Amino acid sequence: MANASENKTIGSVMVVGAGVAGIQASLDMANAGYYVHLVDNSPSIGGLMAQLDKTFPTNDCAMCVISPFLVEVGRHLNINIISNSELETLEGEAGAFRATLRNNPRYIDAEKCTACGQCRDVCPVTAVNEFDCNLDLRKATYIKYPQAVPLAYKIDRNTCIGCGMCEKVCLAQAIFYDDKVRQTTIEVGAVVLAMGNDVFNPSAFDTYNYANHPNVVTSLEFERILSASGPYKGHLMRPYDRQIPEKIAWMQCVGSRDINRADNSYCSSVCYMYSIKQTLIAKEHAEMPLDTAVFYMDMRTYGKEFDKYYMRAQDGGVRFIRSRVHTIEPAGDGDLKIRYVRESGELEEETFNMVVLAVGLTPSKDAEALAKRIGIDLNAHRYAKTNDLSPVSTSRKGVYVCGTFQGPKDIPQSVMEASAAAAQATQNLSEARWTLTRTKELPPEKDFSGQEPRIGVFVCNCGINIGGVADVPAVREYARTLPNVIHVEDNLFTCSQDTQENIKKVIVEKGINRVVVASCSPRTHEPLFQETIRETGLNRYLFEMANIRDQNTWVHMHNPERATAKAKDLVRMAVAKAAYVEPLQQVILEVKPAVLVVGGGVAGMEAALGVARQGYQAYLVERSNLLGGVAHQLRLTWQGEAVAPYLKELIENVQNHERIQVFLETEVTHTTGTIGNFITTIVSKNGSQKTAVLEHGAAILATGGKEYKPTEYLYGKHPNVLTHFDLDQAITEESGTLKNAKMAVFIQCVGSRTAERPYCSRVCCTHSLKSALTLKKMNPEMKIFIVYRDIRSYGFREDLYKEAREKGVQFVRYDPENPPNLTSDEQNNLSLTVKDHILQRPLEIKPDIVILAAAILANENKKFFEIFKVPTNSDGFLVEAHAKLRPVDFGSEGLFLAGLAHYPKSLDESIAQARAAVSRTMNIVSKKGILVGGVVAAVNSDRCAACLTCVRTCPYHIPRIGEEGYAIIEPAECHGCGICVSECPGKAISLQHFTDEQINAKTDALFSAA
Amino acid sequence: MGEAAIKIENDRKSIFFDKVKELLPKANLSLCLTCGACASGCPATGLENMDPRKFLRMAVLGLDDEITEHPWVWMCSMCFRCTYACPMEINIAGLIYEARKLWPREKRPKGILGSCDMALKNMSCSAMGTPEEDFRFVVQDVLAEVRENQPGWENLEAPIDKKGAHFFLSQNSREPVTEPEEMVPLWKILHLVGADWTYSCTGWGGENYCMFLADDEDWKRITEMSIKSAMNLDCKVYLNTECGHSTYSVWMGQQRHKIETEIEIAPMVKYYAKWIREGKLKVSSDWNKDLKVKFTVQDPCNQIRKSFGDALADDLRFITTACVGEENFTDTYPNKSNNYCCGGGGGYLQSGYKDARLQYGLLKHNQIMATDASYVITPCHNCHAQIEELGQHHGKGKYRAVHLWTIIALSLGILAENERAYLGPDLIDVNLPKTE
Repeated sequence: MANASENKTIGSVMVVGAGVAGIQASLDMANAGYYVHLVDNSPSIGGLMAQLDKTFPTNDCAMCVISPFLVEVGRHLNINIISNSELETLEGEAGAFRATLRNNPRYIDAEKCTACGQCRDVCPVTAVNEFDCNLDLRKATYIKYPQAVPLAYKIDRNTCIGCGMCEKVCLAQAIFYDDKVRQTTIEVGAVVLAMGNDVFNPSAFDTYNYANHPNVVTSLEFERILSASGPYKGHLMRPYDRQIPEKIAWMQCVGSRDINRADNSYCSSVCYMYSIKQTLIAKEHAEMPLDTAVFYMDMRTYGKEFDKYYMRAQDGGVRFIRSRVHTIEPAGDGDLKIRYVRESGELEEETFNMVVLAVGLTPSKDAEALAKRIGIDLNAHRYAKTNDLSPVSTSRKGVYVCGTFQGPKDIPQSVMEASAAAAQATQNLSEARWTLTRTKELPPEKDFSGQEPRIGVFVCNCGINIGGVADVPAVREYARTLPNVIHVEDNLFTCSQDTQENIKKVIVEKGINRVVVASCSPRTHEPLFQETIRETGLNRYLFEMANIRDQNTWVHMHNPERATAKAKDLVRMAVAKAAYVEPLQQVILEVKPAVLVVGGGVAGMEAALGVARQGYQAYLVERSNLLGGVAHQLRLTWQGEAVAPYLKELIENVQNHERIQVFLETEVTHTTGTIGNFITTIVSKNGSQKTAVLEHGAAILATGGKEYKPTEYLYGKHPNVLTHFDLDQAITEESGTLKNAKMAVFIQCVGSRTAERPYCSRVCCTHSLKSALTLKKMNPEMKIFIVYRDIRSYGFREDLYKEAREKGVQFVRYDPENPPNLTSDEQNNLSLTVKDHILQRPLEIKPDIVILAAAILANENKKFFEIFKVPTNSDGFLVEAHAKLRPVDFGSEGLFLAGLAHYPKSLDESIAQARAAVSRTMNIVSKKGILVGGVVAAVNSDRCAACLTCVRTCPYHIPRIGEEGYAIIEPAECHGCGICVSECPGKAISLQHFTDEQINAKTDALFSAA
Repeated sequence: MGEAAIKIENDRKSIFFDKVKELLPKANLSLCLTCGACASGCPATGLENMDPRKFLRMAVLGLDDEITEHPWVWMCSMCFRCTYACPMEINIAGLIYEARKLWPREKRPKGILGSCDMALKNMSCSAMGTPEEDFRFVVQDVLAEVRENQPGWENLEAPIDKKGAHFFLSQNSREPVTEPEEMVPLWKILHLVGADWTYSCTGWGGENYCMFLADDEDWKRITEMSIKSAMNLDCKVYLNTECGHSTYSVWMGQQRHKIETEIEIAPMVKYYAKWIREGKLKVSSDWNKDLKVKFTVQDPCNQIRKSFGDALADDLRFITTACVGEENFTDTYPNKSNNYCCGGGGGYLQSGYKDARLQYGLLKHNQIMATDASYVITPCHNCHAQIEELGQHHGKGKYRAVHLWTIIALSLGILAENERAYLGPDLIDVNLPKTE
């Protein structure tokens, strides 16, 4: 390893914090040629997301979507998980840091532990289960949750009585009572901080009675209550008496937007959405009709598809009540009484069975202390300080930040920033790329074609997890009787390191050409065994697994005889299939080390520059004759950084970079190829019709958006009715109209949140607040009204809302059914009437200027999107692969997106997303070749009727009808989900490794019981 | 009027709102999110079709004409419950205080005005205008009677103008003027604990209606007179009698009007609790073991939420349970710093808005009814009067209000027959002093 003192760039990086952001940053960097040390102070990775039940707005199970990421990190050759550890000091500088870590004792050797759980079963101590928010108990010897990575137990020595029972039963000899705090040092080129946040403790809200009443729960507690793996196994119950609630209330903004009981004046950004989600999920879980009411101040559903989710909840009968509740009173029998006032002033009183406090995010104390130790500036809210124009950079060079340590945000934004931080962290390390990574040298695969199957069966005891219930020797002997089986054995732990070596030896000695392991779940262990057999020259698909633990001995532990019988059935099925498995070829495709970027706005330019700075060629294609896009019309970022100088410098950097080729007035006309190898034709539209063909490994689509030109509110008919862009221009030009104006009105949601465009344009509230403050600065006497539906100043943008109120800007809320009315008289005097939401009386305002917060629309690119076969949603915005965890990827491999084409967003968010896209492309173009194929769909062209069923059903839009008239499914792009296979009416498609022949062999074996 | 359009002109200024903002820069009046937490927690919501959020909104929008001389400002008791839960900690009571000033002084409620002016008539600071010499006479007369008629209390003292006494004790005028024997239980308590205390002939009046009148100058004059009296006698502690608003008027008045003093301004309840903890007051709840008379307490806003907080509320419960027995005490909810104002504060009792006051008190009444208590311990004169009236009006005599001194003296077995004006037939002869 390089020595820091020589100032040589180090090809490894450190990620601190292994929540969803830290995981994404680690995977991105490890897949782009850097060795990653992933440090977390918890015994396992996963962070806050692992505690959640479902995620909005897709209602995916949180654990189900994060679990594959956990597994991938856990077995990644180039990610070193350092759990249970803290970063103590960070010396050195960008390119060569020396980090000192404090490794807290786990008291169980994670390398040896097989997570069999014997230690937990015998542990006599019960302790509070923090993972379940103290709603449940655990043992002193515990694992946070069953899917934890590393999958190893820990002893909580604060509650452990040291009885030694666990040590006695641990067959893996992993218990290590004398474990001590250690200190280790690692050397890294860059650091990414992703320490996350804490959750607000609402005990300070005495009027909400959280500390005293069990049926007042936090939203995180409610997540655990809803979770199938939670304390109530997903049954909706209230803690006080385990009764099923029929009426639940949610209180928004508990510990957010509050300077009285909480010192958190900012908005926590996520609470409205998770509350809506909880109402919907709770209704699903309830056996009887469930009455749900959400008490709120502003409905902040500002993200992609969020407003539709909100409307869905409204249609589903969720009551949304715009009122902040003063006090939650116990009403006897565990019920809770709430007295509240409607916006119109009427008093109401209701009794609920249970109340959920939508608690906000609060800065993590540990993270704060760490930041201070290593010299990272925090902002006024005690989160890592960043600028809008360098959104993931901290105050210390070489140290980057992502996720909620930078500010409250949702998962997609965290993941986006994680990739952006990965791109920034590695940008200056490219000379050391692939210098510290590890690769596995594998022998060539042996050819077994034509040979009879020779099957080896390995039955695992899993300590006593399997062997303690089922009769493993009997299962082993039974396996010996099955067709094609030439070798059987049983192991204490089939997954242990020494058994792996033994398996390899036996395969070679006995000429085994198919391997069956009967043990635990393929989800966690199949890749390990596949790796092992591959090391002997066997193709990794010549393998089959029988899950006789999770699906057998764990669930039938009180019925050993039948468990043994079932284990035999499962083994017989696996052996039957194994006889039919075929080697599947994965081919290495050469990668073109270049990235095509379409769209020359800020997102496109940042993407191109990022790619170039990573050392790869970028092609930037822009259809207009100018780089910069809509950013030319912006004055300031929301935090007040000037846009024009930044934009000027960015354009110069792009134009002058040797690895960027810019094509202005140019459009894409055709593209072909797959991940790593695209060939795209571009044509110049400036009259020359010059054509060029570009070869690239990946593409980033950043085709931008635009401001809606209103047809409402006299826009275009009266000179003093402006849009935001118009206003920014007028301010820049120091227009006289503005200077002389005595009264200004901003109207929000013009063209947004309408029937035609049922989405929130996200940036307009902030822009209006910022502009109002600018006008106030120009003329403190100016009277300013903001006429709004919900103020959506999420995160620290709430500071602007607060400042605007402080400065005397007045806010009037309107309902869409009763919008403000703007008229102009003969003298061109404007007059605006709107009903005051509190006094319920009309306000008549005589503004000199009116600013319309016009919607943001996606640019029209229907034809272009069809060329790349990328989908758009009903609002015209591009659709990412997964709303939560793959926010910059398309479903089609090798294609990425950034900027306004994805959804309205602020400049800092566009920059972050562009950099994230850069990071994602590095996972492709930094590699010499890409392994494709394996478990993918294959089309039998003779049977294909080109009926388009597969084209329509594929969630990833991969199948297409080729020129020869039958379906083509590129192995490089196919995800192997099997949906087209099951839908194809002509049975023309089969899924490799799960062919009809193989499945039939399995089911036949099941029903041909001896 | 509800539908009248509000015209916002270019040159229109919210004179009142801007003025208050300038006066109270820390009141956060501009920060309102119109969330409604204040209105949902306010007992005055709905009276005159008004609530705190509406009132602030009208001020913000410059509806000075409409809020000037609005009767609601006398129906808000300035109890601070709105501010307690307001996410922006907006000082609505501060706004109301200023809005009361929008009434010409002479047009403000007669009762409050009269009580303020009475207190200015002489050096007593008594809202009933009781002159110094009358006070001295009553105290000495009552004391002589006790010494003579109550065995064991021959050495009882009620010093006036005793130089160098540790405690300066204020005295609400209601007792010397209308029910002088009510003074005695407190004297006895002070005697038992061996407190070195004194009344003063000047500044003894434990009321301050000028504060309710929103008359800053006279609020200051009265507080200053009272504190000065204590200072002149070299007292160390200004001990407020069981009276919420007067405690607050002195405690806050000293800070607000920048009255220089080293003297500690303390509520009576705190010292009761201290003396019980120190074993100086050997109270016992044995008398109630079999009787099982139920009690609850009222947390006076002025002493708890607005000044001394939950610590004092806990003291109040400590004393109560020590005197009546844990099992005979039921708390109200919400309570302590989040307690509902009863409607006796803010000058309500003298404002003339009786119907509004009884309507306001309904929340408190319902809270008390839910406890099933027969007695509400109220260490505050205004709470005492209001809750006594609520018990008669809404409760048809279901419960009564009692001072803490009554219950402490009862549990000590030193409460004489003639000191039981607020006890019902169930307690009229319980634990009477032994006569030998």
